[in-house]
Amino acid sequence: MRLASDWIGADVSAVLQLKNVHRSYAGVPALAGIDATLPNDAYVSLLGPSGSGKTTLLRVIAGFEPADGGQILFAGRRIDGVPPHQRGIGFVFQNFALFPHLSVRQNIAFGLESRVVDPVTDVKIVAGRVRDMIALVGLAGLEDRAITQISGGQKQRVALARTLVTEPSMVLLDEPLGALDANLRTRMRGELRKIRERCGVTFLHVTGSETEALAMGDTVLVLDRGRIAQSADAGTLYSRPASPDVARFLNCFNIFSGELADDAFVSPVGRLALGDARQPSAKPAYAIRYDRVSIRPKDAAPAGDEVRIEGSFVASEYSGAAINSFFALDDGRVFEVETHLSHAAPENYEERGRYALVWKKEDSLVFA
Amino acid sequence: MNATGIKFGLGLYTALFIVFLYGPLVVLGILSFQTGPEGGPQFPIIEWSTYWYRHLFGLTPPSRIAPLPIEQALVRSLTLAVMTMVVSTVLGVTAAQAFRRKFRGSGVVFYLIVLGMMVPGVLVGLGMALVANAFGIDRHWWGTAFVLHVVYTFPFAFLVMLAIFNRFDPSVEEASWSLGVSPARTFRKITFPLIFPGVLSAMLFAFTLSYDEFSRTLFASGRDLTLPLAIYGTFSVEVHPNVFAFGVLTTLFSFALLGTYAILMAMSVRRARRVAIQEEA
Repeated sequence: MRLASDWIGADVSAVLQLKNVHRSYAGVPALAGIDATLPNDAYVSLLGPSGSGKTTLLRVIAGFEPADGGQILFAGRRIDGVPPHQRGIGFVFQNFALFPHLSVRQNIAFGLESRVVDPVTDVKIVAGRVRDMIALVGLAGLEDRAITQISGGQKQRVALARTLVTEPSMVLLDEPLGALDANLRTRMRGELRKIRERCGVTFLHVTGSETEALAMGDTVLVLDRGRIAQSADAGTLYSRPASPDVARFLNCFNIFSGELADDAFVSPVGRLALGDARQPSAKPAYAIRYDRVSIRPKDAAPAGDEVRIEGSFVASEYSGAAINSFFALDDGRVFEVETHLSHAAPENYEERGRYALVWKKEDSLVFA
Repeated sequence: MNATGIKFGLGLYTALFIVFLYGPLVVLGILSFQTGPEGGPQFPIIEWSTYWYRHLFGLTPPSRIAPLPIEQALVRSLTLAVMTMVVSTVLGVTAAQAFRRKFRGSGVVFYLIVLGMMVPGVLVGLGMALVANAFGIDRHWWGTAFVLHVVYTFPFAFLVMLAIFNRFDPSVEEASWSLGVSPARTFRKITFPLIFPGVLSAMLFAFTLSYDEFSRTLFASGRDLTLPLAIYGTFSVEVHPNVFAFGVLTTLFSFALLGTYAILMAMSVRRARRVAIQEEA
């Protein structure tokens, strides 16, 4: 039975709405009640550790796998139960899944010519639209190549062109940059954003890389153990993660567990002074970003608004614009500090030497 | 033993293996060129001639040796092999496609299919004859024997296709669906071209197995004989080198079949490559 509320609840500016979507495998839940709304004409990244259910979610939205429960609304219409070829949702696979027996041009024309709804039978129109799409994704000159004869980046473009030429209002991308080498990955990030803007479609881009998710998404959804843990723009997500788990997954916070006691946070490494930033959470935790910490000699006194702990230097890792230093705290935990080299020349720390690790209490984030 | 010794031993073993594998074929080839009609199937060759080949086609003067009664049997066997090939391959492809997803009872169904190639042929043939008698069905090569040929060759086609689908990447099908293409059209335009080499192999299996099937056909084919039965029938009187000449011709025919298979295979592979070469030229 279809209820009127199916439509009343539909947000007109949303292209996709997920309501309490469930999916489990042999009793083990992969999606444990997903609620999300994806806006029209936007770049959304879906970030999650491996095993968080992000590929499952994408496959459920595309219709390759059924949802066990919940509703999926696409362009205001319920699509759970609709077979994939009637959904009108594009899908770009991590391994590209190009048709190996067709040329680049034939791969791109295939959907237009063969689809059930509104197939384009006029050869000239097909050729024209394929040509435009080839120009858009930058594949000119490769039209007649076999897909075994092009590089990884070019395959990626063919996969994208093949989907975009059918003009879906949403495209799901399953780790689309995962199969490319690092250099190409960075270049394709920009290209993907540009191509999306020109086509005006919504991209839902699944990735396990926090830098990729933050760089690409207008909105970032964080998936954790089958639930949406946070949905925010990149800036908010980075500065105010909604839970200790999200913060841990962003890979830029030192996190202490412990208890909140009036004016301070009691952690295994001592009492830590609190700032104003609070995030309601079931699990109390204290987080400080890697790049907010400064390293000082052991005997330097902290200022009044600063928090200080001690650690012994383990190693550092040079990554061009920044250097990450690792310290062992007294409880054995590793503490990471990111120093941007534009602010200071790299210093040489003494191995196993004791240093003071200091940050402003206002920079800390407390979950309680 | 040192390395050269091992190498020598293995080489000798391989040589012997090849001799025993192809020896009969070579002997058959040589004896088919025996002179006729007085020459028999034995060494030494009295005189080299193509007499028995001409005898096969009725181009020799009449002699006491009757021509091989194989003309109609050959047509029957070829027709039967083509019918079997088509039906078994279609069944094999569709059954293997069904097995890509686990369904309830799939294990039982799998063994039921494979049983067709496991059970002894003579028994199945006899069983079919008894069943046909009990139900009053006339036995014919195109009826009862055809059913047994399909039961026998279907598992081979099925197993070949199962192996092909095992290596098949289902995401290309999902990609096609997500472009709005129906599953039926996806199968025709995407899946089938990709599994086509496997389909060719399944066809080859079904054809050759049916073409020289003996034991099942013996009881199930009724009055009109297929080729293997007709040839066997001539042995019971006296063996003349015309059977060898015919053997050589069928072998050549099989080679032609294999050649066609190889060419079709190569074409499906090369088409993509040629396009690329033109592009670079």
